[in-house]
Amino acid sequence: MLIKGTINLFKGLFVVFKHLFKRPVTLEYPEKRRALNNVFRGKPSVNGCVGCGICQKVCPTGAISFSKDENGKVTEYKFDLKKCIICGNCSFYCPKGAIKMTKEYELATDNKENLILSYKDFDI
Amino acid sequence: MTITTLKLNLGPQHPSTHGVLRLVLELDGEKILSCEPDIGYLHRGMEKMAEQMSYIQYLPTVDRVDYLAGFFYSELLCRIVEQALCAELPEKVRVIRVMLLELNRMASHILWIGMFLMDLGATSPFFYTFREREMILRYFEKISGQRMMYNYFVFGGVRRDIDYLEDVEEILSVLPSKLDDYEKLIEKNSIFIRRVVNKGVLEKETALNYAITGVNLRASGIDFDYREQDYLYKGFDIGKVILKEKDSMARYRARVMEIKESMKIVRQALDYLKKSSPLEQKLINPINLKLPEGDYYADIEAPRGIASCFVRSTGEKEPYRLKWRTGSYYSVNLLRKLLVGEYLNDAIAIAGSLDIILPEADK
Repeated sequence: MLIKGTINLFKGLFVVFKHLFKRPVTLEYPEKRRALNNVFRGKPSVNGCVGCGICQKVCPTGAISFSKDENGKVTEYKFDLKKCIICGNCSFYCPKGAIKMTKEYELATDNKENLILSYKDFDI
Repeated sequence: MTITTLKLNLGPQHPSTHGVLRLVLELDGEKILSCEPDIGYLHRGMEKMAEQMSYIQYLPTVDRVDYLAGFFYSELLCRIVEQALCAELPEKVRVIRVMLLELNRMASHILWIGMFLMDLGATSPFFYTFREREMILRYFEKISGQRMMYNYFVFGGVRRDIDYLEDVEEILSVLPSKLDDYEKLIEKNSIFIRRVVNKGVLEKETALNYAITGVNLRASGIDFDYREQDYLYKGFDIGKVILKEKDSMARYRARVMEIKESMKIVRQALDYLKKSSPLEQKLINPINLKLPEGDYYADIEAPRGIASCFVRSTGEKEPYRLKWRTGSYYSVNLLRKLLVGEYLNDAIAIAGSLDIILPEADK
């Protein structure tokens, strides 16, 4: 029993030992980054919005808001990244394809105001 | 002389409990006299939240019910909506979903192997299993956009056509040799064997009384796999994994064997998808979506037992009530019975062998 157990322990150790000569699996993060493909969901960006409001309806957290003037015309589009869970619903259901999920994923900042994206040019 | 017993709080910050499980143990020396599991530290109000959201708003959040098997819960909610609106899935969508679900099951079981061994004090398998799981998660990221919060299934179909099938091919070719490595490293290790064989024996009657499902049930010798009745898996050959030993070792072996069976299902799906034509699907328009008045129920074989979703709709945009049934909740409850009479140092090993994921139990 003891001898058999020891032999099996060494067999297991051999598997661990083999890994000494393999290439590392991880990357040294800030210097090296792995490639991301086009469907990666990161920080959203808006370009070519017509103010239809569908994104607001499908957003689970209420991160999207519009400001309107007295005629009901949309003047400002706001994206609150503090609330955004980057689910990609807005970009998928946007009828104009105006919302794109970029590859930017490092969103840490020292100022909260930087996390509110504001867009003012509309194609209406 | 009076015998005094000791009350011990195992968790919620104990490093070897998964997440935040608190077990109130009553000890006589090292022997456990009673066990009272205390859950709820990770409660996020998933069910109450649904009552204030439309179905499409709720869909991205259901991946978080169980972060290790997000696809299963998205599938459940999609299934409820498709069922209510009598929408038929195209064949290709069905196969894509099966493939992703099975890959997700593999990822979840592989992670469990690492966590279980970590509970028993072995650190190397933990790193190896994370490496293998990462291959699957990278594939998920390539097709859905994120590693764990996929939001890939939508009502009536999937977000985009499946791609990068060569990655799946690679996973299927690399994984068997890695599983052999685990076998050498783990299954013949005498320390591991002594800590799992004949420990935490789950009798058939107990398993049925505590409503245990999934791998834990099949490791106790009961032949019940919901995938056999599931319309999604129609046409797939599903191998049965039923073991008779009933102990922690049986649950370990059942999971390893289930990974191999899942690989066979993925292979069948992959063969179909390679030959298939580009995806054509008719998505359900989710804006102002209202389910007809009534009760809807759907279930699926998730990695930790049968998961099901119940929705009562009153014809509004939001569900009137939504309820999740998750496998871990019942496994946690089982600890009351399973730990009695065992020694304290086996408690973590037995709890680990049941594959408890606390966010899933707490919801």
